Amino acid sequence: MKRIFLSLWSGLIGLLLVTLVQSSGIPVSDASTVPPTAVDPALLHTLQVRYKMLAKKLTQLMPTQPYILVDTARNHLYIKRGDQVMLDALASTGSGTILDKPGDSKGQWIFDTPRGEFTVQSRLTNPVWVKPDWAFIEEGLGVPKSQADRLEPGVLGEYALGFGKGYFIHGTLYPRLLGKNVTHGCIRLNDNDLKSVYRLVKVGTPIMIF
Amino acid sequence: MNFLRAILSILLSLASVSWAAEQDVVPALDTTDPAALQEASRILEEEIKIAARPQTYVLIDLEAKAILIKSRGVELHHLPIESWSASQLSQLATAYRLRERPPVNRRKIDPVAGGEQDPISLADMPTTYTLQFSPPLAILVLSTDGNPWQWAIQRGRAYWHRLTSWCNTLWTGGSPPSSPSLHLTVSSDHAQSLAWTVTEGMPFLIRRTTTP
Repeated sequence: MKRIFLSLWSGLIGLLLVTLVQSSGIPVSDASTVPPTAVDPALLHTLQVRYKMLAKKLTQLMPTQPYILVDTARNHLYIKRGDQVMLDALASTGSGTILDKPGDSKGQWIFDTPRGEFTVQSRLTNPVWVKPDWAFIEEGLGVPKSQADRLEPGVLGEYALGFGKGYFIHGTLYPRLLGKNVTHGCIRLNDNDLKSVYRLVKVGTPIMIF
Repeated sequence: MNFLRAILSILLSLASVSWAAEQDVVPALDTTDPAALQEASRILEEEIKIAARPQTYVLIDLEAKAILIKSRGVELHHLPIESWSASQLSQLATAYRLRERPPVNRRKIDPVAGGEQDPISLADMPTTYTLQFSPPLAILVLSTDGNPWQWAIQRGRAYWHRLTSWCNTLWTGGSPPSSPSLHLTVSSDHAQSLAWTVTEGMPFLIRRTTTP
């Protein structure tokens, strides 16, 4: 009993010591940092100039033209120019569900909207959906051999903006599902917002998705 | 003369606007503190390299107590940090790549059963998890308003790991464990948001605090 008590006690002391060893809001103490008590004005000026130069370099990387921002967690698409929000639209993005590829024990489709930075690669009017394999398999149907059997007009709305690897910003037949993660990776908008996006962006407009 | 004066004042105001804009690039920066300027410049140097490529990245700003999701230097999303602690803070001086995102319980579509499946949402994301990086770094994300048991278990595990490595160092007389770690406490919503956003290979930068 005494031994158990002693080991528990030493464990607690150990935990306390470990907690003390950790930094929490404690400033960095590198050999490279300058002691705050002796500030050399010339050194401070050099550091300020260097900081300003680097800040300017980073600012130059920021988009100067309108860009598309997509928040996949909250299902919103924004068009921004600097800090100004030009459009805030409710969207639908990827469902995150998975579908097994038939005949491939390890192959799967993951229906995520890709995260990262992309650009608008194409601007289409009256787009026709070329149904991929997963669209047939998901419905329990066989994959057609003829390309003509894959074409489905009218389901993507009046416009589509491609951003690579088969992903598009397009319209929807199900506006009640906007605001939810229901797509196979594409970004859906209602007709009015889609029209505004089509008008505001051009090929090369950056799309930032998180 | 008046014309020259007007031109000069316009140029000066433009210069001050540009200086103000550049100051905003690193929040909560004391431009009279050499250590703060050095740390801000270090972060900017790393960030310029990362932001030059088309990718999203995370900047954990311990000075401003915020997690920033960024791309091309633009702040896309802001997640406040409630509290943090770190071991070997001075070593957190490079860019880290996330080895894998936190596990997500994805639903599988069964075409035979009718196709439709519940999508995943923010609510499916964990509120307490550990992110592992290359070069070695572990970031433990905890949430105060999440599952208290999960929180206690994760916190206990982290302390236990630290205690055993500390004891090993004592017994063997070697140097302290080389891989740094960071504990972040955020709200459960923000923990889930971060888990949702991060992807495998995503770059992370950590701005260390220089103020007591």
